[in-house]
Amino acid sequence: MATDPKLIRNFSIIAHIDHGKSTLADQFLLKTKAISPRDFQAQHLDSMDLERERGITIRMHPVTIYYETHRKKYELNLIDTPGHVDFGYEVSRSLAACEGVILLVDAFQGVQAQTVATAYLAMESDLTIVPVLNKIDLPIARPDVIIPEMEQALGIKPDEVIRASGKAGIGIEEVLDAIVERIPAPSGSVDNPAKALVYNSHFDTFKGVVVYVRVMEGRLHKGQKIKLMRHNTEYEIQDMGQFRPAMTTVNELIAGQVGYFVAHIKTLGDVHIGDTVTDAFNPTTEPLAGYKEPKPMVFSGLYPVNNNDFETLREALGKLKLNDSSFTYLPESSEGLGFGFRCGFLGMLHREIIQQRLERESNLDLVQTAPNVTYELLNRHGQTIMIDNPQKVPDSGQIEEFREPIGKISFLVPSENIGDIMKMCADRRGTYIRTEYLSPTRAILVYEIPLAEVIYDLYDKLKSATHGYGTMDYEIIGYRPADLVRLDILVHGKRVDALSTIVHRAFADTRGRKLVKKLRGEIDRHMFEIALQAAVGSRIIARETIAALRKNVTAKCYGGDITRKRKLWAKQAEGKKRMKQIGQVEIPQEAFLAVLDTSEEK
Amino acid sequence: MASSRPPWIWPTAAYVHIPFCAFRCGYCDFAIAVGKDDRQDEYLRALEAELTRLGSPQRIQTLSLGGGTPTHLSADWLDRLLILLSRWLIVEPGGEFSIEANPANLDDEKIRVLADHGVTRVSLGSQSFDRNVLRVLDRDHAPEDVPRAVERVRRRIATISLDLIFGAPGQTLEQWRADLRQARSLEPQHLSTYGLTYETGTPLWKRAERGEVNPLSEDDELSMYETAIDMLGEAGFEHYEISNFAKPGYRSRHNSVYWANHAHFGLGMGAAKYAEGVRSLNVRSLEGYLTRALSGQPTEFQSETLPPHERALETIGQNLRRAEGVVHSEFQEQTGFDLQTLVGPAIARHVGWGTLEADDDAGVRLTRRGRCVADSVIQDFWKPPAERAT
Ligand SMILES: Nc1nc2c(ncn2[C@@H]2O[C@H](COP(=O)(O)OP(=O)(O)OP(=O)(O)O)[C@@H](O)[C@H]2O)c(=O)[nH]1
Ligand code: SF4
Ligand SMILES: [Mg+2]
Repeated sequence: MATDPKLIRNFSIIAHIDHGKSTLADQFLLKTKAISPRDFQAQHLDSMDLERERGITIRMHPVTIYYETHRKKYELNLIDTPGHVDFGYEVSRSLAACEGVILLVDAFQGVQAQTVATAYLAMESDLTIVPVLNKIDLPIARPDVIIPEMEQALGIKPDEVIRASGKAGIGIEEVLDAIVERIPAPSGSVDNPAKALVYNSHFDTFKGVVVYVRVMEGRLHKGQKIKLMRHNTEYEIQDMGQFRPAMTTVNELIAGQVGYFVAHIKTLGDVHIGDTVTDAFNPTTEPLAGYKEPKPMVFSGLYPVNNNDFETLREALGKLKLNDSSFTYLPESSEGLGFGFRCGFLGMLHREIIQQRLERESNLDLVQTAPNVTYELLNRHGQTIMIDNPQKVPDSGQIEEFREPIGKISFLVPSENIGDIMKMCADRRGTYIRTEYLSPTRAILVYEIPLAEVIYDLYDKLKSATHGYGTMDYEIIGYRPADLVRLDILVHGKRVDALSTIVHRAFADTRGRKLVKKLRGEIDRHMFEIALQAAVGSRIIARETIAALRKNVTAKCYGGDITRKRKLWAKQAEGKKRMKQIGQVEIPQEAFLAVLDTSEEK
Repeated sequence: MASSRPPWIWPTAAYVHIPFCAFRCGYCDFAIAVGKDDRQDEYLRALEAELTRLGSPQRIQTLSLGGGTPTHLSADWLDRLLILLSRWLIVEPGGEFSIEANPANLDDEKIRVLADHGVTRVSLGSQSFDRNVLRVLDRDHAPEDVPRAVERVRRRIATISLDLIFGAPGQTLEQWRADLRQARSLEPQHLSTYGLTYETGTPLWKRAERGEVNPLSEDDELSMYETAIDMLGEAGFEHYEISNFAKPGYRSRHNSVYWANHAHFGLGMGAAKYAEGVRSLNVRSLEGYLTRALSGQPTEFQSETLPPHERALETIGQNLRRAEGVVHSEFQEQTGFDLQTLVGPAIARHVGWGTLEADDDAGVRLTRRGRCVADSVIQDFWKPPAERAT
């Protein structure tokens, strides 16, 4: 069935988190009968367990549907995207496969930080924007307020905004019609040499690596010899198809179409997202621009509680990597924790998700060290080295310049909270850039803040400062020199490398004090007194002691009922599984994360 | 035939639970029945039904009656109870037959009944000689009831033990010393000193949660405990178990069965039993117990057989409470494990910290400091295997 390119529309649904992208996609699936009401479940495209559990989209989900209007049958390729900032790179990837976007705005919450961020992405790629005011069914919907806000923030013409509800099924046809009418058909020609953009991939246990492509020019077909232009690697297309939403085989994909192919590619690592696919015998001369790979920005050490589990952990990481090429892992060792891995994540949510998947899928008990960002360091020999682990910081004598990554943060907040946010940013060494008012009551506040001060809990603090109404988005803009030092922690006289952190010198003392105080609360009393010290170099800057346990004895085992007691012992022993023995001291997992808690109040 | 089996397999001891009490003390979380005295006859019938399930009369070394308050009901009822028990549980000559008693309601007639049925030991719930402490603990007897009860019991029954509680809210170290002096002066052969525990859910616990009473500081509790050890030691008592002191030859043989982790029968509401490697527990409500027993159903609501490894760890936990601790040879024979192989590293650690002392032949026991932190020491032997790998 050869589809006329003029009848194809490719678009993504973009929005702030939870504004209803996946729910609207549901309506499209139902309306176009891509899925029968019997097989349907809410947020149908969110198929991963974790997505369903958390009710959020983590991966992009492409799907092909057919919509008939004006007696013509259109092929619509839509991509549902995640709203969370950690997965922002999935949005940019999706956009490169589209000519337009549906920009959803929650009719109560209005324009939020990711609304602005994703809308700008779409504008920068010259995509047509179909603005939709969603959740119009809510009794508290505020179209009169939100529509002007959209105009003010994004230059959207009020008369172009469609009012809809993905949940109540309002305005769905109007949106579909707007897609057909407003978004241009793809422009490529079937007669040119094949040229397709790899915009995603996933690992399928049965099929192997599945490559997601948007064909820009020419055609791809089964049995074709193709070439991945980045490394000039050649493969033969074994199978190809479209997501409708189930993987459905087709014989060819032509310019303008979106789909997937399978070609005996062994690992995800062999496929570069953003690569160009072309015909091996009749290649195009010009590869597509592609995109930058997202770089992990948050790192933390992951150690098995039981050292014998190291290999199991390695296997588990390898398996996960097949499905998520955006995280990284490298073996490392720590005096205190033994052998483990330094893992890189896109953000804190990403980190949490990876850890959950690891624990769930391979039944491992893990200890995780406090997350840190990647620093850059110029040493006395004029070499620039990347520091993704505080343990790697050399002696201060070796350091010429210490640099930290800076994030540019856009906060979208109620005007009345501007003062609190400014205070919060000042406390985190932020540099004020500008304020823009969306309306008398809402403003965008832009700051540059060291990334280390952003990743831990800035988001939570923002939420509490604004009673849940503030949102933020950030991008990394580069490295800047700063007066940084490594803050060490000594437990019972021993430096615990996994507790070291990199901090600004001006805050080292306060943070050291807070940290040992916090640790004192996390570590149980032992049979002996434990000294906790914070140090910069050889200078001890704070000290706390955990007194030896003096009394802990049950008076009586009543009437021979020792079952209860034994169960208690066994339960407590179970609780100890997450402890790491360092020297003679047992340190619970929480202690390794204690650093996070002190980061806000300095 | 049964007697040829080792005492950790087949019971040589029996516990019988009498749940009746006049009211519930604020700190109590035992299985008791308050305001249910009208069920006393049914209770005897239920006990009889449970005893009948033993199949045949059992010869035992020790029999212990606890509660509740075994002496709460009438002398006549007590008489019928003891007649019933004597048909099924036969205490061997030279054995121990012990009963818990409340100083407030132990009259001469009840003492006569007990003595006539061969009770050898009375454990009096004296708790304190301080009126205020007794009030905080909700006890219904007066300080002067205790010497009177001691005197009356002593005329008929040889061995007397006193229970004392320390660490009650508001109690001072001085008051506690006075309690110990008073107790000593009554010359019991045995003394139990229990640190007050705020059991979750009890009225006292709730009061502490609400801040209406203030638990003593850990240091105060500790000095009370150490004071007891010192003062009773001076008076010639052996500190033979964490909370128990005895003149030579007067240790509680029944309780020693628990600390040896040996088998025992348990009868009555909420009673625990341990026989042939199976631990089970009777239902803890009076209604439940009566209904089950009287309709011929099993009275146990839970039972489990421990794997050998856990049984061994449990034995360590129990043994360590005794002065002699875990005895190598005994342990090996009873559990099939070599102590050193099983938990060598943990022992070494605690010896290093001064909480355990070990000698190659005899075994391992808590030091004086170790006794104060016994729960943590014992807990340490239950660590998951993971830590042994490091
Ligand atoms: N009242 C109302 N609720 C809606 C509507 N659309 C979505 N919701 C609810 O909003 C929540 C988020 O919906 P999703 O469709 O998962 O939002 P999303 O934008 O895909 O979220 P992420 O993928 O996590 O960014 C869910 O609880 C939906 O039931 C709507 O039109 N009206
Ligand atoms: S007398 Fe003993 S069993 Fe009865 S309520 Fe008081 S403490 Fe509990
Ligand atoms: Mg979604």
